[in-house]
Amino acid sequence: MNLKPQNLGDRSFSRHLVARQYQRKKRSKMLIAGLMLTSMVDMFSLLVIFLLQNFSTSPELAVVAKGVTLPISATSRELKDAPVLAISDSGIFLDQKFIGATQELLEQPEPLMKKLSDLREIWQKSHPNQDFPGEISVQADQSISSAIVSRFMGMLPSQAFGSIQLAVVGGGGGKG
Amino acid sequence: MAVAVGGASGSGRRKSLDAELNLVSFIDLLSMCICFLLMTAVWLEVGSLQVKQSHGTEGAASTSQSHEIDLTLDSPTSLQFVIKKGGRPVQKQQLKAASVEELALQLNQAMVSFVGSPAGKASPISAAMITSGASVSYGDLIRVMDSLRKNQIVNLGVVPASRDSAVAGMKGARK
Repeated sequence: MNLKPQNLGDRSFSRHLVARQYQRKKRSKMLIAGLMLTSMVDMFSLLVIFLLQNFSTSPELAVVAKGVTLPISATSRELKDAPVLAISDSGIFLDQKFIGATQELLEQPEPLMKKLSDLREIWQKSHPNQDFPGEISVQADQSISSAIVSRFMGMLPSQAFGSIQLAVVGGGGGKG
Repeated sequence: MAVAVGGASGSGRRKSLDAELNLVSFIDLLSMCICFLLMTAVWLEVGSLQVKQSHGTEGAASTSQSHEIDLTLDSPTSLQFVIKKGGRPVQKQQLKAASVEELALQLNQAMVSFVGSPAGKASPISAAMITSGASVSYGDLIRVMDSLRKNQIVNLGVVPASRDSAVAGMKGARK
């Protein structure tokens, strides 16, 4: 652009300044937003791998029986793989199979004893030269009476299930 | 993203063998994967408290010189405990509180005063047996067990309730 004073009058020079200002404003608005697709794909891939690794820890262990709200504990440890005995108001479940009503089994626990005995025999057949570990996981509703839970817990050692894991929800936050 | 494959030398134009990957659909797929994984994730962290129902057998032989605690949880707001050494009572205390949270706190303080600072050393109390009444909920029992475990008392046992007590607990729950 020719800005010699002989070419520009007072009026044309001010016009030129206004035009230049307008162009500058226009240039500053023209921001090109470029998305780096390759790095975005990398990030997504890493996220998918992280999520897959994080959530691939034995989902069957985390299955909580219907009608059971587990109590919260601040000192819980990792839950080991073991048969699950679920105790709720509605009934007793062993490995998610209904065994009987809670009241009935409190009075006549034979069906539960039979199922526990069967479980032990199956384990011993599949592990012929090993000692039976006797581990069982107990899932009980937090509102149920502790006397009911302890009554069923007392039945377990008679079928060689002496190592009981009480299932809880981890992270009590240091209360009490 | 492109993959270049060298073409054969010869006359005429070389045909480009660059394979272009459609990144947009790839991103769609990955986004769906992330959404699916996040929605199906189990956010509940299920842990366990170990309980040994072997009181009077293997536990008795190893704990003749160490302390044991017998804890009776009568109701959600009162408990009594007896600390024994070699079968003889050393300390007996009754705790009462307005709520089970306060009771657990009091028990924790009582244990800290007996055991000392739990950090980094084994507790002089080797085992604890808990007896709970029919009016005590399972959640309250776990809270009390938690207080004991915080003081390194990890060998816990629960005294089996009588049939009448369990039936009374069942009836109490229905009311």
